[in-house]
Amino acid sequence: MNELSQTLTQPVVASAAWFEFAKRHRAFLASTVVLVFPLVMPFTALAVNILIYGLYAVGFNLLFGYLGLLSFGHAALFGTGAYLCGIAIVHFAWPWYAATAMGILGGAVMAAGIGALAIRTRGIYFAMVTMALSQCVFYLFYQAINWTGGENGLRGINVRTIDIFGLQFDFINPLTRYYVIAAFVILALFALSRILASPFGAVIEAVRENEARARASGYNVTLTRLITFILSGAFCGLAGALMALHLSVVPIEILHIETSGMVVMMSLLGGMGTFFGPFVGAAVFLLLENLVSLWTVHWQLIVGAVFVICVLFFPAGIWGTILKRINP
Amino acid sequence: MPDIDLHVVSPAPDGEFGAKGAGEAGTAAVVANDVTTLIRRSMSLSLKSLYRQGPWSRRSDASDRSFRKYQHHPRRIYMAKQTIRSNSISRRRLLTTASAGVVLAASPFRINLLQAQEATIKVGFPVPLTGPYGAEAQDQVRAAEVAIAEFNEGGGLNGRKAELLVRDDKLNPGEAATRTLELIEKDKVNFIVGSLSAAVQLAVNNITKERQIIFNSISQSDIINEVSDFSKYTFHEALNPHLTAGAVGRYAFPKFGKKVAFLTADYAYGHEMVRGFQEAGKAFGVETLVDIRHPLGTADFSPLLPRIQALKPDILCIINFGRDQQIALKQATDFGLKKSMKIIAPILLYTARVAAGPQAFAEVIGGTSYYWGIEDKIPSAKAFNDRFRKMHAGKVPSDYGALGYGGVKTLLMGAKAAGSVEPDKVIVAVEALKFDYYKGPEYYRKCDHQAVQSVFIIESKATPQKGDADLYDVIATEEPNEKNLRTCEALGHKS
Repeated sequence: MNELSQTLTQPVVASAAWFEFAKRHRAFLASTVVLVFPLVMPFTALAVNILIYGLYAVGFNLLFGYLGLLSFGHAALFGTGAYLCGIAIVHFAWPWYAATAMGILGGAVMAAGIGALAIRTRGIYFAMVTMALSQCVFYLFYQAINWTGGENGLRGINVRTIDIFGLQFDFINPLTRYYVIAAFVILALFALSRILASPFGAVIEAVRENEARARASGYNVTLTRLITFILSGAFCGLAGALMALHLSVVPIEILHIETSGMVVMMSLLGGMGTFFGPFVGAAVFLLLENLVSLWTVHWQLIVGAVFVICVLFFPAGIWGTILKRINP
Repeated sequence: MPDIDLHVVSPAPDGEFGAKGAGEAGTAAVVANDVTTLIRRSMSLSLKSLYRQGPWSRRSDASDRSFRKYQHHPRRIYMAKQTIRSNSISRRRLLTTASAGVVLAASPFRINLLQAQEATIKVGFPVPLTGPYGAEAQDQVRAAEVAIAEFNEGGGLNGRKAELLVRDDKLNPGEAATRTLELIEKDKVNFIVGSLSAAVQLAVNNITKERQIIFNSISQSDIINEVSDFSKYTFHEALNPHLTAGAVGRYAFPKFGKKVAFLTADYAYGHEMVRGFQEAGKAFGVETLVDIRHPLGTADFSPLLPRIQALKPDILCIINFGRDQQIALKQATDFGLKKSMKIIAPILLYTARVAAGPQAFAEVIGGTSYYWGIEDKIPSAKAFNDRFRKMHAGKVPSDYGALGYGGVKTLLMGAKAAGSVEPDKVIVAVEALKFDYYKGPEYYRKCDHQAVQSVFIIESKATPQKGDADLYDVIATEEPNEKNLRTCEALGHKS
């Protein structure tokens, strides 16, 4: 009996150790996955999309999963990043890295603006206020036709080669484009992992767990929320800027309410409040959409059914469920 | 150990957030159904998902603000332990990764590592198979299949057959751009033909011109001709708003009068069409009484119609699309506007008229790039229609469908004339083509690659006699003429 229990516990211990290791080096492991990812995808442009939407979902998850605030206006942050990066290149002929920085800054500033107005509300009211404000942002960009192209979208974000420390990379080549964008995503993942591991990251989760207690412990809850929202905006702005570089156009649909809804869906599908879950969600979402729409024009039916099944049977999300299985 | 990154699953979260969220979600009856469901779902999920216990409780014990100090020390020790342990783990990780790689390589997602140079000529065809223009897009695919079949039966390009690769762009420029990248990078297509919205074609065009792939657009846009978006790889088989609106205006203004009221959908399509009408109207001294703009998806035009009635225009020009057009025309008919003024539209769609029925559209005049009824007069249209009927169970091609045929056909014939699929050679060959494939004589203007072609003025029949497809009378044809297009200089081209 004793022996039996020993043999049974043995693998559990090993897997627990593995789990512990994986948790500690989550950014490193995620980066490894990102590096081999294009090799297993049907085509590279889709892999890049997954990477970018994954980063967008990761940025959203910082607010939704870790801070516990559901925003329905993240398209405004994503879109602002994309548009500002595009405008910097098209209208001001800035180099690509400066334009990317502009995208990050744009996302953060937009988040600061929306956050300043919305951050004191919570729950459903926060979702509604962010949604309303993001609609305002939509119309702002929609009407500024001379800058954004309005309905026709912003075209001409054409970056042919990328210089990194004197090295020239052909940005038209799909794999090169993937790895340049992957480099940014990996940097962002390490940055996020660092933020979450910092005392500030702990405060974020404290606010989510029990706001009153966090406040009683001497933390400025409103400021924590605002800063987290701004950080989330910076990540989403980076994702938007990479999107602009990748597609070389910024369509107005990027600011549409559907883009806000999609990231909620991705986070839920992957597993909110998990480090890698949003990536899994983005990958499953986009892969399904792309593969099924190749077979049939009724792809929405099948994709919808899969979502229903996921929500019913994996309420913690796909990645969340896997994590629970490994380490119950 | 005060390790910040330790993940402990706490038994249950404090109810505050969840409970409050659920209560608030209940009050959100005003929001659209699906939105609320999603929020509710996520709120309840927040209870169920993994919770981590942060060190905040411990932090309050540690009264000082020097977290860093006590964070660093134990972490180093932990890391040191980790390096000892990680040896065996990394081997395991390697094995897991490798085996996962093998599994994935065997799966349908596998890489197309060796995509051999295939002999077929590949034509990428991104169109919105799903969404509001699905009916038109599916007809475009059917027509493009006819062009491919004809090319292959004619022996192809020295025996090289053509192949159509259809992708659903979902009427979204971002999706269209991604699909175009897929077609170019993975499928290595020779040509791209397609798109069914101004924004989508401009997005596709931006990608193809960067990669030096020929793109033939088959939907309306003025901007694609302009120097900012044009490249030598860009062709435009469809009409553009300036030409369409101009043709209808040139027909209608001398016949029905000079006082015009516009009812316009407030987006790029509407604005470009109004501009086209007004420029054509200058020659006739046309006076714009009012330009009423309505948002996309307007369900009720009845507040606007009496205003138009009171202004007593000779012509009411309704510029919108799809369901907006159906509702506007139906209500205009019900209000009796047709008795006191002539209603015109820049484009009358085959599919929209089928969907709306004859009554609302009766006696409305508009333009089109193609209507199957021209087959009585134009032999090439007869040949195309017959071929289409044969391939697709007796159906006739729609207007936008025929563009799919024209777009694919011209590039393939260009390749045949050039004897090659080299983009530069094909461009020269297509520029030199003078052709009559399906609607009478046509050619591409050199400066902007706009197809110079005829525009048909059609009037909707009040009572169709010859079956379901008998919708319109062709009452006039504007012959192809470069003068009806904007000049090359006006578009910013040098020549």
